[in-house]
Amino acid sequence: MLSMMKTVFAVISLVLLGGCAGLGVQPWERDLLAKEEMALTNAIDSSLDDHIYFSKEASSGGKSFGGGGCGCN
Amino acid sequence: MNNRAFKLVKRTDGYGINFEAMASPCEVLIDSDDRKLAQKVAQVVTQEVWRIENKYSRYATASLCSQINVSNGRPVAIDNETYLLFNFAKQCYELSDGLFDISSGVLRRVWHFDGSDNIPSADQVNQVLPAVGWERINYSEQQVIVPKGMEIDFGGIGKEYAVDKAISQLSLLTNTPMLVNLGGDLCASAPRRNGQAWQVGIEHPGFINKQEVVVSLFQGALATSGDAKRFLLRKSQRFSHILNAKTGWPVEHAPASITIAAQHCIEAGVLATLAMLKGQQAEAFLEAQEVKHWIVRHSDQ
Amino acid sequence: MQLEDNGANKVNVKAALSLATCALLGSDSADAQEPLGQSLASPTPWSFDTAVLLYTEADRVSALEAMISANKEFDDEHFLTLKLTIDTLTGASASGAVEQPQVQTFTRPSGNGQYQIAAGTTPLDDTFHDTRVQLNGQWTQPIGKDLAASIGAHLSKEFDYLSLGLNVNVSYDFNLKNTTASAGFSHFKDTFSPIGEIPKPFASMLIGNSDDPTWDNEFADTRLIDEDDKSTTDILLGLTQVINRRMITQFNYSYSMVDGYLTDPFKVLSVLNNQGISQDFVYESRPSERTKHSLFAQSKYHFESTILDVSYRYMWDDWQIKSHTVDTRWRFNLQGSHYIEPHIRFYDQSAAEFYQPFLLHGKTQPAFASADYRIGEMNAYTLGVKYGLGLNNDEKLAFRLEYYSQQPKNSGFEQPVSLADFDLYEGVDAVILQVSYSF
Repeated sequence: MLSMMKTVFAVISLVLLGGCAGLGVQPWERDLLAKEEMALTNAIDSSLDDHIYFSKEASSGGKSFGGGGCGCN
Repeated sequence: MNNRAFKLVKRTDGYGINFEAMASPCEVLIDSDDRKLAQKVAQVVTQEVWRIENKYSRYATASLCSQINVSNGRPVAIDNETYLLFNFAKQCYELSDGLFDISSGVLRRVWHFDGSDNIPSADQVNQVLPAVGWERINYSEQQVIVPKGMEIDFGGIGKEYAVDKAISQLSLLTNTPMLVNLGGDLCASAPRRNGQAWQVGIEHPGFINKQEVVVSLFQGALATSGDAKRFLLRKSQRFSHILNAKTGWPVEHAPASITIAAQHCIEAGVLATLAMLKGQQAEAFLEAQEVKHWIVRHSDQ
Repeated sequence: MQLEDNGANKVNVKAALSLATCALLGSDSADAQEPLGQSLASPTPWSFDTAVLLYTEADRVSALEAMISANKEFDDEHFLTLKLTIDTLTGASASGAVEQPQVQTFTRPSGNGQYQIAAGTTPLDDTFHDTRVQLNGQWTQPIGKDLAASIGAHLSKEFDYLSLGLNVNVSYDFNLKNTTASAGFSHFKDTFSPIGEIPKPFASMLIGNSDDPTWDNEFADTRLIDEDDKSTTDILLGLTQVINRRMITQFNYSYSMVDGYLTDPFKVLSVLNNQGISQDFVYESRPSERTKHSLFAQSKYHFESTILDVSYRYMWDDWQIKSHTVDTRWRFNLQGSHYIEPHIRFYDQSAAEFYQPFLLHGKTQPAFASADYRIGEMNAYTLGVKYGLGLNNDEKLAFRLEYYSQQPKNSGFEQPVSLADFDLYEGVDAVILQVSYSF
């Protein structure tokens, strides 16, 4: 339990650090991040996946809007 | 990263900003009494100039330039800005028939322009000369490969480039007339509000008779090549700090200093260097190019 | 030496240098003499993403979905995306009724006709088929330094369903664009007008002769209204953080409030006697409100030649459903522009508080009940692989094959003795095949 608390604390600290200048890169260090395959979302695959899982499971969204939009669930 | 500061000074004719960058005193003159604007201008200019310095200085170990110089022939990823700078350097190399070469910095390992008579031997020069040669540097939009042993140096264009970038950043912010001066390389965004020219003193620190030229500048850039402190003397022969990248030896009969007026600072800077490389023919070259220029020669020349 | 060429080089050097300077400083050199504007800002052409997906469940639903998305950048960082999606669905899906040791007869949702389900098989309703057309438009542009806004519209139409939606999103970049905070809002309005109208909650399914003259009136008695609607309001707060040159992370919190008709008009519950024999089928009923929350975290890490993408979502709602989703993709760059990307996804959900696999005859009727396995306890996994390659002129082609398996679970309901040999929580397996092409 204690180690889980530690993990949770570490994650929260990381989130809070987010706004600080400690993390990140200089503009010319974006060579890898700028690659298309480093984009957080593949728009095509995720919209098709979202539709499948929206209609087959009780959860939706989280990554982007869950939305409505289909009579499947 | 930058704990460096700038100073905001109220002047009779607006605001002045003073800061240090690229080992030079820098100044921005703002033709406005708006203190908030001046503060914003100071932030924008220092941010941009220090950014370029941090990225392209060969002295900063964390800079992209240093990363490239310690890459030992391995490819280094570059961004679009660097790609464009390489394109520019390539054009300068071609226009100068190989005399203007951003890989010629390694020659400084044998040439120390400290006013002494410490002239390297021909052997010493010939040892480093193979490490000079822009044509062996391979670059694309994604990466650059600098062969092992070679180095690059943006010193010949960096300060002038920073002036132009600062002016273009400011043009997004305001159209208030302004003058950006980075250690003598400068650009005015527009004539002063009263329609008058900016009065700019071009200093040549270290000259024995401390010559100063005051230039009237409405708009555009001035850049100066030459520094009286950087030369070598042997048997009354003066060696200028302008090195011929092909021979590894100083250009003969180069003027002490050349100042050029052009639309952009980087244009003026390169023209000044190209003229320097012409040595005795510097004046003739600039006359022929119909470039506005000021040349100072040493009294012994 | 190089000194004798002044005449020949005349004007060349200055003009060439001037051109080189323009190329270096680009269109942002506002102090250039000639206005640069139009001539340099060459418009980027439209780019297109297309995909076709085939989803096939063994013996159940199959769907074919085609999508085309057109994207264009106007000016600098003004983006327009238009997307058209068409899908068709055929096959049978679980009606909610339980498997029985005898043949069962059901009335179709339209009231026109009946169908029978053999003993010992899960009742599936095979009338389920529909075609859906969906249109999306999204416009994104900067609204000041470091701020961007995006606005979008959504329209989706099926034979019996209409969905309209709007969304707005604002994002703010800071810390050298290493951190992006965003806030979004979306609202959907859906109208459901199912064939055979909307049944009354817990009304018994009418079984008998649909050619009987009294049939239509009796069937109409089980119906409430011809259409109903629901609205969905989502709020999404996000934080994206670049960790270092190789790693980027995202955290989202989303809040979703759904209000209106949330019941599935095609789903029923079996009413069983003490022996577990079906006495009746009644239409399900769900609460008219649902509030969902979710926390989502994603990280991508660029190794030397592979990219690992891991995400986790925790969702909870006031129907007492809690779910965990872990999604992992690992991209391996092969030679040239080829790559292969394995995919593993795990999903686990608890049951809604009103979920029950059947009702018992003579017991008090609950306020809400649904036997829809999709809101019951279940876990699921997906195993997949994607293979992609670049073609000439920025064209890209990718193939994706996935296997999706759902295992509904009994969340503590006692199974009647006569049904002991039956699997009331039958799994669903599906194969997904997708081809995408971008140009």
